[in-house]
Amino acid sequence: MWKLFAVLLVLAPQLTAQARTALDGERNRILSLENAWNQAVHQKDAAALKMLLSSDLVYVDFDGKLMDSAAYLASVKSQAIHRERIVSESMNVHLYGAVAVVNGMYRESGTKNGKSYTLRERFTDTWIRQNDSWVCVASQSTLASQ
Amino acid sequence: MRNVGFAMFLVCWTVLAAGAQNSPDVGSGTTILALEHAWDQAQESGDVKALAAIFDNSLIYIDYDGKLLTKAEYLARVKANNTHIQQIVAEEMIVRMFGNTAIVVGSYRVKGVDNGKPYLRRGRFTDTWVLSGKNWICVAAAATPILH
Repeated sequence: MWKLFAVLLVLAPQLTAQARTALDGERNRILSLENAWNQAVHQKDAAALKMLLSSDLVYVDFDGKLMDSAAYLASVKSQAIHRERIVSESMNVHLYGAVAVVNGMYRESGTKNGKSYTLRERFTDTWIRQNDSWVCVASQSTLASQ
Repeated sequence: MRNVGFAMFLVCWTVLAAGAQNSPDVGSGTTILALEHAWDQAQESGDVKALAAIFDNSLIYIDYDGKLLTKAEYLARVKANNTHIQQIVAEEMIVRMFGNTAIVVGSYRVKGVDNGKPYLRRGRFTDTWVLSGKNWICVAAAATPILH
């Protein structure tokens, strides 16, 4: 019995470190997906967005507009908007098993109908793991005061 | 999901299960809506203990002004009740089930007095719930003013 205990004592830090590394790996994976999302929006790449977003997505824009997946994709592809710069920063990922909640700051600048605009928003995205992939099922943005 | 207070609650809701719609999902959706009700009632009465049981310790709460609050900060704000809410009306709620995760999206109107000035706000919220053991707990909530 004491031998088993000794072995567990030796292995425990290694197992903990491995678990931590696995969690860090998942967090980094989700952060990469967030960045891929920004890139897809910048390039108006609906095909890439469809891979990142659930077909059941609920999306609440900074003005409170509620959109489903199709409406969101249409808004991204809108010819009236030209996004020049998109940056996400201060992102945090909270993992709950097969669920991840990301919050952070989002800055976007560009022109809409020929008029320049700048947005600074705080966002919350909820991702779920389906098979071996993460998909975003909910996203909400709120304008942040300066 | 909202600020403090609850006077009238009118809600029409839908439970949408991602994939097949089955009875456990509908049952969970009902439970979650009951928790949303409990949340409102706890806010109304300033019952911080009841609220603490609804939220995960790592709660991320984004207020209508874009401020990020932790669970402790949110509970402290409920306790302080600085915004003197007189009435909140939840207009609609949709629950989407994804296995052990539920997303609730809804809209609300809130009426109150802030620094002596009356206000009327309309907002949209999204709450994320996860099943922890046998209990559903809220891990994230966000509110956004409806401007359009």
